[in-house]
Amino acid sequence: MFLINELIALLAANLILSQALGTSTIFIAAGSRKNLVATAGVITIFTTVGAAAAYLIDSLMPSDISDLRLLFYTLVVGALYVLLLTVAFFVSGSFFEGFRKYIHVSAFNCAVMGTLFTINTRASEQGPSFGFGNYIAGGFEAGIGFILASLILTAAYKKLNSSKVPAAFRGFPAMLVYLGIISMAVYSLK
Amino acid sequence: MNNRKKNLLDGVLGGNIVLSGLMVISPVIICGDNLKNAEALIYAFSAITFLSVLICSFVPKKLPYAAKVIIYAIISSLVYIPVKLAAQEFYPESIARIGMYYPLLAVNSLIVFQTEAKFFRMKRAEMAVSLIFYILGFDLVMLLTGFLRELFAYGTINSKIVDVNTLISGLSQPFGGFIFLGLMCGAYRAIRAAVSKKEAGRDTDVSDK
Repeated sequence: MFLINELIALLAANLILSQALGTSTIFIAAGSRKNLVATAGVITIFTTVGAAAAYLIDSLMPSDISDLRLLFYTLVVGALYVLLLTVAFFVSGSFFEGFRKYIHVSAFNCAVMGTLFTINTRASEQGPSFGFGNYIAGGFEAGIGFILASLILTAAYKKLNSSKVPAAFRGFPAMLVYLGIISMAVYSLK
Repeated sequence: MNNRKKNLLDGVLGGNIVLSGLMVISPVIICGDNLKNAEALIYAFSAITFLSVLICSFVPKKLPYAAKVIIYAIISSLVYIPVKLAAQEFYPESIARIGMYYPLLAVNSLIVFQTEAKFFRMKRAEMAVSLIFYILGFDLVMLLTGFLRELFAYGTINSKIVDVNTLISGLSQPFGGFIFLGLMCGAYRAIRAAVSKKEAGRDTDVSDK
């Protein structure tokens, strides 16, 4: 029962299905198992580590310069982007060649930035009780939510791209409608 | 229509960033449920994207790709600040409604990735014109989405009640946004395919003569 409750909570708070964040990226992730694992993995690293850095930014930044938050978040994601590329480069040349496109795709997109802003909104609603652990948990949860939504899309990916679907709706339009139907189901769980 | 003119107009019709490229779709899905939000998003997207891409075009092309992407994102984050301050004067209510989707417009794919792939391969004047058409393409979709979703979800146009017999309240929800955009993408593709077919037929007729 605990697991079912957790799954429902994860679906209800899902950034893609409830806030449409990272929708374009999920279409890339759902294309193949390799894409799914790599993109979801990199996004989870970005959201989790980014959320930890966002905690520092949010706690140190005075509220009267809150318009600079985006700039600081961008700097954090940029630093993480360079760090991940450097790590991939030192692992091996072939790994870097195969893996860097996922880092490029995952760095600056709505899934990562949206997660940081969502956590920031949650923190300002809940006040000082929302600590460092909550930030990291929020970032990790967003990554898991991305994996879950990608898996749901992967399950129907081939059928939505098959020749049985009318040409005009084949691919992206059908996937958007499919995500809408899943989102509707998730909406009813709230 | 000659090729150059066609390439410039591509942003509005053939290569629409929302309907064809599926870029910047989160604000359209979540916030595009009424005309007031649409208007505020159009202002923010147009101002941030135009200024950012124009400033980014001065970044040295010899820099490594990752460094350029980070610089583009930083430039757009800086451009976002005055744009938001101005929006607080013109659209104070919309900022609260749009919330975090406002800053997310600043890190949209058109600025961060498409600049490199598309715009910076053109001459600056040509790039500026092409960019305006791409922005207009987004504006058009946003306006149409805001208008239709407001009309059928709330039975209003720009907050004024109109006589609509059937209301679909789900259209104002995120799932309504997904489904509506999916249907719009499908319709757009069908129209585009019909136009290309017609053009191909006309070309064949000309060559036959």
